[in-house]
Amino acid sequence: MSRVTVESLDGATVRAWNAGEDDAPGLLYLHGFERHPGEAPFLHRLAQTRRVLAPEHPGYGESTGLEAMDHVLDLVLHYRRLVERTFTGPVDVIGHSLGGMFAAEFAAICPHLTSSLTLVSPYGLWLDDDPLPDPFVLSEKELRTAIWSDPQAAPDPETSLPLPGAADPHAKVYDRARNMGAATKFMWPIPDHGLRRRLPLIGARTLVVRGTDDQLVPQSYTEEFVRLIPDARFAAVEAAGHLPMLERPTEFGDLLEAFLD
Amino acid sequence: MKFHWFAEVTYPHLPEDFPKRFRSAWVDPPPSLMDPQKVGETYRMFIRLMEQADREGFDGLAVNEHHQTAFAMTPSPNLLAASLASNTTNAAILVIGDSLALYRPPVRVAEEMAYLDCLSGGRLIAGFVFGTPMDSTYSYGTPPIELRERFHEARELILRSWREPEPFAFNGRYTKLRYVNPWPRPIQDPPPIWVPGSGSVETWDMVIDNDYCYGHLSFSGLRSAKPLVDQYWQHVAARNGDTNPHRMAFTQICCVAETDAQAEADYTDAVRYFYTHNPTHPGFATPPGYQSLASLRHQLENGFGRGISAEDRIRAARGEMSFWEYDEKGYIIAGTPQRVAARLRELVTDLRVGQLIATLSMGDLPEETAAKNTALFGREVIPQLQDIWQEHPDHWTPAVSQARVAEHRQARVAVTGGTR
Repeated sequence: MSRVTVESLDGATVRAWNAGEDDAPGLLYLHGFERHPGEAPFLHRLAQTRRVLAPEHPGYGESTGLEAMDHVLDLVLHYRRLVERTFTGPVDVIGHSLGGMFAAEFAAICPHLTSSLTLVSPYGLWLDDDPLPDPFVLSEKELRTAIWSDPQAAPDPETSLPLPGAADPHAKVYDRARNMGAATKFMWPIPDHGLRRRLPLIGARTLVVRGTDDQLVPQSYTEEFVRLIPDARFAAVEAAGHLPMLERPTEFGDLLEAFLD
Repeated sequence: MKFHWFAEVTYPHLPEDFPKRFRSAWVDPPPSLMDPQKVGETYRMFIRLMEQADREGFDGLAVNEHHQTAFAMTPSPNLLAASLASNTTNAAILVIGDSLALYRPPVRVAEEMAYLDCLSGGRLIAGFVFGTPMDSTYSYGTPPIELRERFHEARELILRSWREPEPFAFNGRYTKLRYVNPWPRPIQDPPPIWVPGSGSVETWDMVIDNDYCYGHLSFSGLRSAKPLVDQYWQHVAARNGDTNPHRMAFTQICCVAETDAQAEADYTDAVRYFYTHNPTHPGFATPPGYQSLASLRHQLENGFGRGISAEDRIRAARGEMSFWEYDEKGYIIAGTPQRVAARLRELVTDLRVGQLIATLSMGDLPEETAAKNTALFGREVIPQLQDIWQEHPDHWTPAVSQARVAEHRQARVAVTGGTR
C-alpha cells in the first residue's frame, strides 16, 4: 500500500495498492463505482507479471481531491500525473465499471501512456434503445442481486482496502456514503460525458470484457464499445455478473494473461 | 407570532387503492392518473382559498416547489405567487421556496423574486431550498454530490445581483455570466430570507451566520420535531446566534370546526388521503451524496432526531391511525378554535416558533371545508395567539405586510366589534 500526493487537484492524496517487481511492465488498475477491491486475488495474479498500481479514486476511501474536479477530464489528467510519476513508459490500463469509463478516457487522451486497454463492464455510454438500469435506486439487496451471478456465493463483506477510521462503529456506513456519493459526480443522472466521441481516438489494442449475467451494464453497451474502438475485441466471462474478476478470478486471470502477453 | 396559510397542492383524485398499486407518488407516478382539467380546478381552488386567507387576516400566504409528484403540483412556486401578488393586498407572499440549484442560470430566481416583490409592493419573503432528493436529484438530475455547492453558488449570485449597483461578471463553477444585471430588482433591500432544512448542521450554520429564518417543514408535528428543533436551538445558543423565535418557521396541519366531533366528521377522510396517498419509493428517498458526511455523522451520533417511533410513522403513512390518534401524536391539531389554539400555544412555545405555517387544506378536502377552516382559524384562532412573542421584533416578515395586516385586523375588529 502506498500513499502519495499528486500535484493535481490542489495536491490530492492518493491511496493506492501496489505490487509486483520494480522492473516489470507497468499496469494501472482503475476500480468500479462501489469501492476499491483491496487485496483481491486477481490483482495478486496480475502482479506476477506486472508492476501493478491500483489507486483509489478521488473522493473514495482515503483518496482526496474530488472537490477540485469539475469534469472527467480533470480526473484523466490526475491519473496522467500519477502514471508519469510512477512509471517511466506506457502501461497496461485496466478499468472496471466506472473505472472503465476513466480508463477509456485515459487511453483516448493519453495515448503515449497506454500500451493496452482492458475494459470490464465499462460505463461511459448511453443507448436510447436500451436504457441502463439506475444503480442508485436499487436497494442494497437489489444491487447485490444485479451485480453477482450467484448472490448466495458472494463474499460478505466484499474485499476492500482498510476502512478509514475502522474503529468507529459506523465506519462502514461512512465509507459507503463517501464512495457512492463520489460515484454520483460521474454517473448521475446518466454516465455519459461524451466518451462516444473520443473512443475512435483510442489507438491501443483493447479487450472488452463482460460477465454474461451482468444486470447493470447490458451486452449492447459492451458491443458499442467494441464497435467504436478501432482495435477492440470482446470476451465474455460465463457465470459472472458485474464483477467477473471477483466472481470468476481464474477465468478472468486466464483471459488477461492471454491478452497481455 | 405570525400565521401563514399553506397547503400542498395535492392532486385530489387519485384512486383509493393508489398506495397499493403504485410504489411512489414521487418521481415516477403514472401520468395517466392525472386529468389536466381537474388540475386546473385544483389550482383555481387554492388561489381562491389563499385570497380568502388574505381577507381573513393571515400574515402570509405560503407556496412551495416540488416536481413530478401528485403530492404537490407546484413546479414553480413563483407562478402561484404571481397570482397571489396580483390578487391580494396585505399578506406576505411567502415563497418557501425556490430550489436554487435547479435554476440555470440562477439569476432566473433573482428576476422572478424581484418581479414578485415589485408586483406585491414589497411583500415577498424569499425562501431558498435545496429541494427534496426526489425533486432535485431524481426529477431534475442534479448529481447529489454537487447539490449543496450549486445551491450556495446560486445563493451568492442571487444576493449579489440584488445588491450590486452596477452590472458585474460572475465566474462561478456552475454558472458563468459575463453580464449580470437583473431588471427588475426587489423593493426590499433585500427581502427577508428563509431557509428550510431537514436537520443538517451546515444549514444551521448558514442560517446563523446570515441571520436567516430557519424552517422545520414536516407534517408530523410537535413530538416528532422536538428532538431536532431542540438540537437546533442548542446549536444556535452555543454559537451565540440570535434566538429570536421569529427566526423559526414550522408547519402544522390544523383542522378547525365548530365542535371536536364536527372536526372528526369534516377532516378524517382528507387527513387519511394526505398521509396514505404520498408513498415515496425508498430508492428515491436517500441518494448517496445528498447528505454531507458531517451531517450523517451528526445524525448517527446524536440520533435521527425523531420523537416518533418508526412503527408509528409507518402506521401514519398506512392510515392505520384513528383521527384522534393522528391528533394525539401531533400529526394534526384538530377540534374547536379553543382546543386548536391551546394546542398551538403549547407547540409554538415548546419549539420556540414565531412563524407558524398553518396547513389548512390537505389531501382531498372539499373547498367549502377548507374555506371554513380558513375562516375559523383567521377569526377565532389567530386572535387568541397573535400576542405570543410580541416582545421580540420580527425582522423576517416584510415591513409592508406587517403594517397592512395589523391595520386590516384592527379595521375588522372595529367593524365586527371583536371576534365572532
